[in-house]
Amino acid sequence: MKKLNQFIVIAFVLYAMVSCKKEEKTTDTTNVKTESSAVAATQRIVSLNGAVTEVIAALGHEKEIVGRDVTSTYPESVKASAKDLGHVARGVSVEAIMALQPTLILGTEKDMTPELQAKIKASGIKSVIFKQEFSVDGAKRLIADVAAALGHKGDIKPIQDKIDTDLTDLVKFKKAPKVLFIYARGANMLMVSGTGTPIESIIQLSGSENAVTDFADFKPLTPEALIKGNPDAILLFDSGAESVKGIDGVLKIPGVDKTNAGKNKNIITMDGGLLTNFGPRTGEAAKALNQLLAKNAK
Amino acid sequence: MRNKLFLYLLSSFILLSALAVWSLYSGVFVFEKHSFLEIFNGILTNDGSIDPSERFVLMDLRLPRVVMGILIGSALAVSGTCLQGMFRNPLATPDLLGITAGASVFAAITIVLGSYIKPYIPEMLHYSLLSIMAFLGALLTMVLVYRLSTQGGRTNIIMMLLSGVAITAIGFAVMGLLIFFSKDEELRDLTFWNLGSLAGATWAKCGILAVVIGISFALLLNKGKALNAMMLGENDAQHLGIPVERIKKQIVVLTALMVGACVAFAGNISFMGLIVPYILRLIFKSRYNIILPLAAVWGSILMLTADTVSRTIAPPSEISVGVLTAFMGAPIFMMILIRNRKQM
Repeated sequence: MKKLNQFIVIAFVLYAMVSCKKEEKTTDTTNVKTESSAVAATQRIVSLNGAVTEVIAALGHEKEIVGRDVTSTYPESVKASAKDLGHVARGVSVEAIMALQPTLILGTEKDMTPELQAKIKASGIKSVIFKQEFSVDGAKRLIADVAAALGHKGDIKPIQDKIDTDLTDLVKFKKAPKVLFIYARGANMLMVSGTGTPIESIIQLSGSENAVTDFADFKPLTPEALIKGNPDAILLFDSGAESVKGIDGVLKIPGVDKTNAGKNKNIITMDGGLLTNFGPRTGEAAKALNQLLAKNAK
Repeated sequence: MRNKLFLYLLSSFILLSALAVWSLYSGVFVFEKHSFLEIFNGILTNDGSIDPSERFVLMDLRLPRVVMGILIGSALAVSGTCLQGMFRNPLATPDLLGITAGASVFAAITIVLGSYIKPYIPEMLHYSLLSIMAFLGALLTMVLVYRLSTQGGRTNIIMMLLSGVAITAIGFAVMGLLIFFSKDEELRDLTFWNLGSLAGATWAKCGILAVVIGISFALLLNKGKALNAMMLGENDAQHLGIPVERIKKQIVVLTALMVGACVAFAGNISFMGLIVPYILRLIFKSRYNIILPLAAVWGSILMLTADTVSRTIAPPSEISVGVLTAFMGAPIFMMILIRNRKQM
């Protein structure tokens, strides 16, 4: 038995020696360093967040985006021009990012694991991770932050101001409708938005109010809570509505038919990115939701 | 026999080295036209011939991953082999004893409640909190199983397996509860982590794993002869002068240690402890003095192959390696069941 141990040790040592042997060969090549002139004009950007992608495009740098995450779906053209790297939270591979030879990596803190952040930092490529706040001011700040990271020289004020102008001509409701947001992933996976979520912010910006007031974040939906909350309208992402087989599927969710929203068939579906990105289209999103609510209220 | 084993080990090592080079060379990132030697020299001598991002991909992404694959594959295969020898049953794996479940539950609790615990622990531990908790979970489970099944220094194997089953059941319940109450991003974390992947490989993790595995192997790899004797029955082995109880204790504790560390760093990579010993047993029968050291190398070979495939099969994203190993392991699991149907 001892002999076997020795053999294993010897095998390991041999193995180590073989792999280290090459270290002894030192090459005397002259050190030639090519100074790459870093010009901000043609950057290769990897954007790991839908809102950030929107801002980059709004600033006119869309052509420089070489890689994007799965949530970067606006503008439509970016889907074709930049490579889809998958889900940030489900392990975007750093190697796939590096393979695009980016000069700048941008993302937001919320969707990145500390590990991914650490690896991106270690890659030596310039990267900025933004802290996003889901409000009008937050959206404006994100626009300014991204512009700074890109070294963008132009005026960003028009883009920021557009959010405010979009918000000026909202329909005023006599009584703010109660909106319930359902996050659906198939009929057995229904969560509703509580307080403190990006969705709640956009609902409030649209001049309506969140039907849920007694818990924070997302919680599973129960028929009883649904009837108790009695929302005037139910809001879903387009993709969520698809996962429960469209509006008819939503109306079939137990308890929906007992609410005002169900009785009046007031089910609204909107693009998820538009609603929750809180980028340059924040005003647009609130306005679109406001108009749909007003139309259905008639 | 001794010489033969050495030969087997050596050829396995050569194969593993070749695989490691292949794995290092394959991936989404495409290198400039350097030969392997040029890259090797460039990295060692740091003479500027290698682009910094190539260097980063090789040294900080692929190499730690290759090393971690080698370590984890080895650890899981040896754990499985030892447990199977101890239970005299080809189905005994860390998953069956609930070690994996215990580690997973602790990790899941950490994922969901982490934000509440974080303020009370030093900054340094934040990143490794998950790992430490999974590790504690594995150890705690093992101690619990051991306490439940051991009376007066004698282990009742059936009791032990059943406690493992009970703990796994509790684990599933806790897991389900946590998944139910977790936020969306935590949920993604949990599901992703449950599948097992080597994507989070870093040098620090490799270092910790190497220490844990080094200590465990030093004590376990020479137990082949004893396990062979224990095949005859524990009493007979005792009469042959083999300290059965002590060996069992060592196997239990060290396996928990290794599996805990693996689950912490890579999530649940299932069936590794089943596939490797099964294949080796097909060739060498149940001669543990041969199977045990070979399992250490072949575990690495299998893991490295599976992980390289998982990295390169669907670019630019990665499939979790746990999915692949489960695909390989499940049919083997069925085969063992069918073979042993008469004895069950």
